[in-house]
Amino acid sequence: MGPDRRAGAAFLEASGVTMRFGDHVAVRDVTLSLARGEVVSIIGPSGAGKSTFLRCVNLLEIPEQGSLRVGDTSLTVRPGAKPREKDIQPLRRKLGMVFQNFNLFPHLTVLRNVSLAQERVLGRSRAEAEARSMSLLDRVGLAGKAGAYPGRCSGGQQQRVAIARALALDPAVMLFDEPTSALDPEVGAEVLAVMKELAGEGMTMLVVTHEMAFARDVSDRIVVMVDGAVVEAGEPRQVMSDPSHPRTRSFLSAVLGR
Amino acid sequence: MDGFLSDLQVLGPGLGTALQLAGLSLALAYVLGLVLALLVDARHQIVRIAALVVIEVGRGLPLLVILYLIYRGLPQAGLYLDPMPAAVVGFTWSIGAYASEIMRSSLNAVPPGQREAAAALGLAPRSAYRDVLLPQAARIAVPPLMNLAIKAFQLTSLAYTITLSEVMQAAYLRGSVTFEYLRTFVAAAVLYAAVAIVASLLVRRFERRLNRHV
Amino acid sequence: MFQYTGYILAGVGGTVAITVAAFAIGALLGVPLAVASRSGHRLVRWPAISVIEVLRSVPNLVWLFLVFFGLPEVGIRLGPWATAILTLGVTSSAYLAEIYRGGFSGLGQGQWLASKALGLTTWDRGRHVLAPQLARVVSPTMATYAISLLKESALASTIGVVELTFRGGLVSQRTGDGLTTFVVVGVVYLLLSLPLAYTSRRVDSRLRAKFSVG
Repeated sequence: MGPDRRAGAAFLEASGVTMRFGDHVAVRDVTLSLARGEVVSIIGPSGAGKSTFLRCVNLLEIPEQGSLRVGDTSLTVRPGAKPREKDIQPLRRKLGMVFQNFNLFPHLTVLRNVSLAQERVLGRSRAEAEARSMSLLDRVGLAGKAGAYPGRCSGGQQQRVAIARALALDPAVMLFDEPTSALDPEVGAEVLAVMKELAGEGMTMLVVTHEMAFARDVSDRIVVMVDGAVVEAGEPRQVMSDPSHPRTRSFLSAVLGR
Repeated sequence: MDGFLSDLQVLGPGLGTALQLAGLSLALAYVLGLVLALLVDARHQIVRIAALVVIEVGRGLPLLVILYLIYRGLPQAGLYLDPMPAAVVGFTWSIGAYASEIMRSSLNAVPPGQREAAAALGLAPRSAYRDVLLPQAARIAVPPLMNLAIKAFQLTSLAYTITLSEVMQAAYLRGSVTFEYLRTFVAAAVLYAAVAIVASLLVRRFERRLNRHV
Repeated sequence: MFQYTGYILAGVGGTVAITVAAFAIGALLGVPLAVASRSGHRLVRWPAISVIEVLRSVPNLVWLFLVFFGLPEVGIRLGPWATAILTLGVTSSAYLAEIYRGGFSGLGQGQWLASKALGLTTWDRGRHVLAPQLARVVSPTMATYAISLLKESALASTIGVVELTFRGGLVSQRTGDGLTTFVVVGVVYLLLSLPLAYTSRRVDSRLRAKFSVG
């Protein structure tokens, strides 16, 4: 079953998101929507505001303004009005986040990393949470590491644990913030394989990435951001082979070495 | 050598008093430190400022002046304290101020990604503190807090100035009887150094264990 | 107004003099101590480390008494001022040596190797590459140490040096008003430490601005 791309069927919707750091506009009026099951990659030169935009989607950064919706949960941020914690929570609960630097909890075992939030946020019993954690760890190929501390895991293993930790809360959409940037290419490949599998299972995913191969082969759509704004969006092959915007062209020729 | 051992014997009861003072003040200072560290982030500005004043004055005054203030000053306000309680109050204030700084900076030393990961997982602030931030901050804070304990023990020598019968008082009394000040104060120095060196070796070992899997 | 304020304030000079002189001695003696403690030769390194550890493990008050009351027995007689300045200076050298050591390891091998690769002589490497960077790295910590030395200088009052705290003690005995007296003394110490605290904070933020990458 392919992604459902009928008009009005948007499952995740961000509109008019603007974020400023002092005088610098990091994200400029970005509007983006994903259908259920769709995988969208955001690419662009570094400093383009890709990560900041992604962090605005789950409100780790509070945008200056903008509207966010996941399924039937929505939140509108107006200038000068900071949303309250209890308005943010329902939206975050539908979003799983994977960070560039994994951000596993170093004082907890791999298993506890995956089960903690299930108990505290979803109210699952410890046994229930740990059973679910084990099956997720098995899925990312790390059941054998359940009792280890993150410090004893390689970067690639840590990132796969981080994916399992996010999945454990049954998110509607997964957000990936440059998940392989901190990893060696061969180790990054294990992580990309897990993400590819996840995409194949129909997970809705929004991925900020520098991995052009992943963007081209796995995503349904590519969004190009430059200087905080979306300059181009479309099917991967079309964007990669025949970009319409000059900034996309120069960016692609730089990263692909053409 | 024989005389040296007898010197140490004379200082023994003083050592007991010193350990008592250090132990009691530390227990109270850690509690005070935690309370102050939390109050500095309080919502009300007056509470915040009050906590900061207690901390800054506690750290800014020589302990000797704090002790005089309590032992010789408070009687003016009608509050008479014996040497031991006076010393405990003074030590708690001074050491508590340092402890609060250690605790505060330890909490700030937890990488920001940890706070973000907790938020992204939807943990409520209370759970983020209890399950994620405080355990990591505690790991950072424990070695400096233990070093503070060693420092507290060394500082007990100051309680001599408000007539508490700790090691220095015993040494001084002994010296004034035998006129062998050098020997007695060397004995006192050895006693302090022995406790401090053994304690800091223990702290170092503990620190290594703490960092085992981080 | 408290009529003895002027008399107490006259002690500022003494307190500052002890602090500055002891700091200067410590800053100088600390250099060879730090270098020796990082030497490749065990016979140089171990004694240096032992000296640092022993100086730091014995409380300053004990050192003061040992020198002031003890050393005359072996014919070394120093007045109260000389005792205070020399003793605090020597113990400071151990603390400052530790600060220098921390600075060395903070700089890392990269700078040293890079300057070696450029073909600079050992002296030039030390003089033009290491020393300026080291000075910047350690100066905030040294300012912090200066504040604690300012407070330690109050200990000199116990061997009869007529500085701030000593004058406070006299006035409180004369007037019987220990509370006002030591509040005044305390405020003076806080005011004295302000410029140092300001320096340490300013140097710190300037360094951060200058040396932060990205």
